[in-house]
Amino acid sequence: MAQEASAQLLDPAAIARAEALGILAREIVEGFMVGENKSPFHGFSIEFSQHREYSPGDDIRHLDWKVLGRTDRYYLKQYEQETNYVAHILLDGSESMKYGSGKLTKFQYAKVMAACLAYVVLLQRDAVSLNIFDTGTRTYIPRTGNRDMIFEIAARLAAFEPTGGTGISQVLHELAIQTRRRGIVILISDFFDDESKILEGIRHLRFSGHEVIVFQVLDPHELEFPFQGMVEFAGLEKTPKLLTRPSEIRKSYLAELENFLSALRLGCEKNHCHYTLVNTANSLHEVLSGYLAFRRRTSAR
Amino acid sequence: MSFLNPLLLAGVGAISVPVLIHLLNRSRVRRVAWAAMRFLHISVERNQRRMNVEDWLLLALRCLLLALLALALARPTFQNAAAVLRGRTAVTGVVILDNSYSMGMTDGVQSRFARAKKFSETIIDAMPGNSATAIWLASDVVRGLVLEPTRDLNLARKTLREATLSDRSTRLFPAVRAAVEALRRRGSSRKEIYLLTDGQAGGWEELSETIKLLNEVKRDIHLNLILISDREEHNLGVSDLRLGSSLTPVDQSLRFEVQVTNFGHDDARGVAVRLAVDNDPPSDQTVLDIIPAGAAKNVSLFTKLRTEGYHAVTAEITGDRLAADDRRTLVVAATRRLRVLLVDGHPSRDALENETFYLRNALLPVDSTAVNDFYIEPVVITPTELAGTRVDNFPVVVLANVSDFSQATATALDQYVRRGGGLIVFPGNLVNARFYNEELANRYGLLPATLGPLMEAADDEHAFHLQAKAYDHPLVTLWNDPAAGTLSSARFLKAFRLQPIGRKEVRVVTRFADNAAAMVERTVGQGRVVLFASTANSAWNDLPVRPAFVPLLHRTLGALLEQRNKALNIAIGDRFTLRTSEETLGKDALITHGEKLRQYRRIELVENQPVLQSEEIDLAGTYEVTIQTEPPVKLKFAAQADPRESRLDALTEGQLTQLDSVATVVHWQPELAWKQSGPANTGSWEIWRVLAWIALVVAVTETVLGQIFSEPK
Repeated sequence: MAQEASAQLLDPAAIARAEALGILAREIVEGFMVGENKSPFHGFSIEFSQHREYSPGDDIRHLDWKVLGRTDRYYLKQYEQETNYVAHILLDGSESMKYGSGKLTKFQYAKVMAACLAYVVLLQRDAVSLNIFDTGTRTYIPRTGNRDMIFEIAARLAAFEPTGGTGISQVLHELAIQTRRRGIVILISDFFDDESKILEGIRHLRFSGHEVIVFQVLDPHELEFPFQGMVEFAGLEKTPKLLTRPSEIRKSYLAELENFLSALRLGCEKNHCHYTLVNTANSLHEVLSGYLAFRRRTSAR
Repeated sequence: MSFLNPLLLAGVGAISVPVLIHLLNRSRVRRVAWAAMRFLHISVERNQRRMNVEDWLLLALRCLLLALLALALARPTFQNAAAVLRGRTAVTGVVILDNSYSMGMTDGVQSRFARAKKFSETIIDAMPGNSATAIWLASDVVRGLVLEPTRDLNLARKTLREATLSDRSTRLFPAVRAAVEALRRRGSSRKEIYLLTDGQAGGWEELSETIKLLNEVKRDIHLNLILISDREEHNLGVSDLRLGSSLTPVDQSLRFEVQVTNFGHDDARGVAVRLAVDNDPPSDQTVLDIIPAGAAKNVSLFTKLRTEGYHAVTAEITGDRLAADDRRTLVVAATRRLRVLLVDGHPSRDALENETFYLRNALLPVDSTAVNDFYIEPVVITPTELAGTRVDNFPVVVLANVSDFSQATATALDQYVRRGGGLIVFPGNLVNARFYNEELANRYGLLPATLGPLMEAADDEHAFHLQAKAYDHPLVTLWNDPAAGTLSSARFLKAFRLQPIGRKEVRVVTRFADNAAAMVERTVGQGRVVLFASTANSAWNDLPVRPAFVPLLHRTLGALLEQRNKALNIAIGDRFTLRTSEETLGKDALITHGEKLRQYRRIELVENQPVLQSEEIDLAGTYEVTIQTEPPVKLKFAAQADPRESRLDALTEGQLTQLDSVATVVHWQPELAWKQSGPANTGSWEIWRVLAWIALVVAVTETVLGQIFSEPK
């Protein structure tokens, strides 16, 4: 039932509204988390304990009033209410994500995916941050463990419209430099960029101790290239138009795409990242539940 | 090079179609906003050159295919020696077999027609592959056995073998003209007419027209004239057979006039002529000592008809190599009692006063004791009885001074005559001239003349007479011989001035001395009407008491009955037409001619009269007709061939030279091989098949390449 309800909610108009996106994420997540008590994201030791600086959005109930009284500085008592980990959700907001052959564009699909993941993380009492980027960060929500922040996250996601080009590696390097505390980086993109640079960025994140999860979101037409007749392709990121008979170059296109996907997948595996190829034709519910189940299995070992 | 269908060359313009389709396809581009341009760019860069080459190659193949098809349909031909060397051109031909009866002339073993059929097969055997031919029979009509040229040459051979001879005469120009017309409609580079005939000069009466026509078409159509003759110079034939007697009573000796003609170039001696009735042995025969070359001799032979009904009387001479003209048959209808209906317009107790007194006596010129045995039986009735009398029971009806009668009676009389009845009309003082003129003459078209004003002589001294000589109507030519007596001695005090109707079937039999018509006759349908100007009794003239009245009346009866017999004897090529009674309408009739012909015909209304009509008759001899009524009505008729066909004179050297200028003339000889003596190949070579094959190869190549090129790469 929940699956059906979420499927109904998955329409472009709903995704464009923050409230609806939040409810949608909750519906989807609660649909596959029913009966689950164990977090699928076990990345950090619960023994770790220290103070952390307050950042906007943190619950002030966890402020260390003693430290504040003594030093006049805002610190949170982490040993009492500390989350297991911080999940940094990096969502590609470049123009190439605007493509969609069906009801949803890749970006709309990715938005719901990001909202769902954020909700899952918050539901497990972990912290989440959101970064929507193209060639640089466009929208940022610092880490937060407050479940109510899901609506702020949904609002930011719903309001965002892709416009620029793609510069994933730069964003990854920045994140690696800026975030000292290790966390889980969930990267959602079509990765239509230089794969070697992307892998460098991932390596940098890994070097910084982050766990990196890669969701490559592609449209079924991008994966199958089913066009017939004479077609003029207009690039979404200011690339020149191209007139051709796609049926006659399908093999070549698919081979190129496969090379790219393989390189990316192998690079991820080499850097011990989780890589998942997401076809927007598939149900988001299945994609997420499948991935989380996989993650539970692998982390249990 | 020339083109058989040059208009179709315009189809070469169709090569613009693939170009237009290509341009149209370009304008029908689907536009897609695309993200993964990076892979697309690489693929297009890698494949674009190859795709361009493939596109141009396919476009060229498609244009070439259309151009080849257009060229093939335009059917280009080459006419030169080199082309001849490359192969023989298929023939589109018409084989015309002369099947006139002169082709039945044999050499003792085989007829000309059989030789012609055999040689036709040789011609067909020699035709190059893919040839087509029609098979026609030609005499004075053209019959298409295989009307349009067929490529099924086995059918053509079978049809040839089954072709039969007719008893028609020869007239070949219509056949040549029809063949030219038929071949003109065909698209072929080699069109041939093969005419196999015996070269009888009589069949080429329109030689100049034939040569003119062949000259006009000699670029396209070629005539091969194969003369199948054997220089036979002897031929005797029965050229005419006619009934000499006026009437055909049973058991009376009847005279038949037989004409035998020597069509050969030498005198014929000791020619036996026989006359036979039905299938009986000859009843009379004679031997003609000599018939000079080119001359005809008449001979009278006698026979008796033993039973009533239809009899076939055949005159025959000793057979020669052309059997068809050695016998000639005439069908006559024999009657035991010839009943003549006399309608007396003014019956009287005094026999001499009766209008029909002299008529009755003239019809029975025998002793009173022999009256009952005499073959003529006059039956006298009054005008009032006429309406209730079935006139069909009387071969002849005589109206003597009958004033007028009802429309129904007039209609019945009209139909009776049209069915073959005979009508004799004598006027008198009671006659309603207006009724005769307006109704019988003008409305029904029965009378040959209208009754004009009365011519009256003041007294016996001023009486007028019939013409004394120069009789030209067969009915009265007897009196051209003074020994036969005279008609001019009869004196006329009164007579109607007859005004003959100006129609070709109206003939004046005899005239008065002042040239006014005294006796006029006309044929009406299958019957005949004779109108006298004066009375049948002695009221207005003394002809009935003259000796000449008896033969005049008997000859008139004979002329009326001859008309009935005429309908039973038709010329070859005519249709047998019989007007029958109302009861037979819608009935079927079976017409047979021995084993050779068997056809069913239905009796149908023609001009409000039930009529039995056969198809055109091709064979001479006796035909039997059975009308399927209860009981069946049986009758016979005969068909006679045109004796001119018996004249075997061949085309002269001059005529052959003329024909040779526009046709290939070949004289048939035993063991003649067509390939050697036939005309040289006209040397045209059609390449449409080659083009069609290339087009097929191009089409297959285009399809295969298109399939390969369109596979994803």
